[in-house]
Amino acid sequence: MKALVIGSINDTGLIGLAQRLEKPEIHYLLIGSGDAAQLGKYGVSKVYQLAAPVDETSFAETLVDLINKETYSLVLAPVSKYFKTAIPMAAQKMSAPLLVDVVDIKQVGNAFTVVFNGIGNRAQVTIKVTDKAFLMAPPTRFKPGENPTGTTTETLQPKSVGAIKVVSTEEKPKGRVRIEDAELIVSVGRGFKKQDDLKLAFELAEVLGAEIGCSRPIAADLKWLGEDHWVGLSGHKVRPKLYLAIGISGQPQHLAGMMESKTVVVINNDPNAPFFKNCDYGVVEDLYKFVPALTKRLKEVLKK
Amino acid sequence: MEIVVLVKLALDTGQLRMTETKIDLEATPLKISDIDRNAVEEAIRVREKVGGKVHVISALKYGPIQKRQQEAESLLREALAMGADDAYLIIDDLLLNSDQLMTAKAIAAAIRKLGSYDLVIAGEATIDGYTSQVGPRVAAELGIPVVTFVRELKVEGNKAIAKRDLEDAVQTVEAALPALITVTREINVPRIPPLLQIRAAMKKPINRLSLADLGLSLKPTVEVESIVPVQVKRKGVIIKEGTLDEKVDKLIQALIQEGLITPR
Repeated sequence: MKALVIGSINDTGLIGLAQRLEKPEIHYLLIGSGDAAQLGKYGVSKVYQLAAPVDETSFAETLVDLINKETYSLVLAPVSKYFKTAIPMAAQKMSAPLLVDVVDIKQVGNAFTVVFNGIGNRAQVTIKVTDKAFLMAPPTRFKPGENPTGTTTETLQPKSVGAIKVVSTEEKPKGRVRIEDAELIVSVGRGFKKQDDLKLAFELAEVLGAEIGCSRPIAADLKWLGEDHWVGLSGHKVRPKLYLAIGISGQPQHLAGMMESKTVVVINNDPNAPFFKNCDYGVVEDLYKFVPALTKRLKEVLKK
Repeated sequence: MEIVVLVKLALDTGQLRMTETKIDLEATPLKISDIDRNAVEEAIRVREKVGGKVHVISALKYGPIQKRQQEAESLLREALAMGADDAYLIIDDLLLNSDQLMTAKAIAAAIRKLGSYDLVIAGEATIDGYTSQVGPRVAAELGIPVVTFVRELKVEGNKAIAKRDLEDAVQTVEAALPALITVTREINVPRIPPLLQIRAAMKKPINRLSLADLGLSLKPTVEVESIVPVQVKRKGVIIKEGTLDEKVDKLIQALIQEGLITPR
């Protein structure tokens, strides 16, 4: 079965997903720079390298042409806003399904089954696909196995559709956080009354050696923290050993982003906050009193 | 200006009817997908500035139709109460639990049936599927430009100027109309309609469309084999009695027991 993996040189995790097919022939559509030949290590027999970055619509058109030429059964892409725009357009043009947040695939003869997180991240859905399909998943979820092979590289000239004119691009301040990989997370929500007060959480996080996460309003509305801190269905999905939520009420969209956490601690002064129904340890207390007291005591316990 | 707004009647994921092994989709109530309220609001704001009509289009994805029809229509009345002019409900057994390819084909056919249209607005994603794909799919089906993840929208003459909220940048783009825009929750605060408008909405038309009405015969490309709830067992230990220091100590004891911190 022929599969095309799309991504930057850092998205090779998705090759691991493609390798779950029986005797797959794997091609890679490499976006941006990077050593294409090194992909041969994972059994990628052909690399298409996109000559220049393009808008989503042009990318979709370019992809459709490539799929028609190579007759791929399966196309796999990372989850990002760029691909969430481009891949559905390509899928519609190919009259094919697109499954998002995929966790597994299995080949059954000429068909395959796909397992993905659905229904507000509350269920694993298994579906059967008989013809070609598009899949999206976070590359970090998978690891490619080594299976060295010779690789040929070809430069792909993108089509330019020009449906949209980019007037300006304003970079957001760059964070350094990769919250998806954090082992300990202290996460903040609307219980904090002003931006300056977040330092209470920063101090706690420092003592624990934790990264800082936040709910939607903190990143998207108030912009007190960058989006790289945002945990939730439309932010990042995290799976730390400890998720310590301070002043977060626990809306379903937030819970969907941290369900895979091992231990969940919730600090909130409202005993009716929905988060208390989804925690391992819940402390009903004013965060302005509790967090500094917890930080102080932890310093003593951890001798920091 | 003819403005179309796409509204999903989504599973209310806050009220999922589930046991350990099964999710009862048929018993789970529907609601207007949260971000689609922002889409309706934005459509009305554009109309308030440039005039025209706002048409709501919705495809019913969850059955049984007998039971859902009434529920779907009362939900669409909420969008009409906010200020939309009329609504089209695509209701057909073939669409139930179908994949987004079919949904997009049905919605695009309904949009074409309206005759002329200038602007299509949808939410960036729905609260149940959360795949963000129906907007771009409908645009591809109609062959019109798509601008996704928009947090600010202006319509000037024959073009839309939009600020897109991307992961690491805010991108300002222009697209010629007709175009499809997907909006984020930050774009506006959806209005709460006063009683008078809720009453007036009772008189606004909700048109039902079947796939036959749209001239479509569709064949599913996927088949659902199983839906297994993700069960997370939490301990649910609530610490609310005692002094501040006692609460702190209880939590620290718990963190030590869980092996999350090691006293030195």
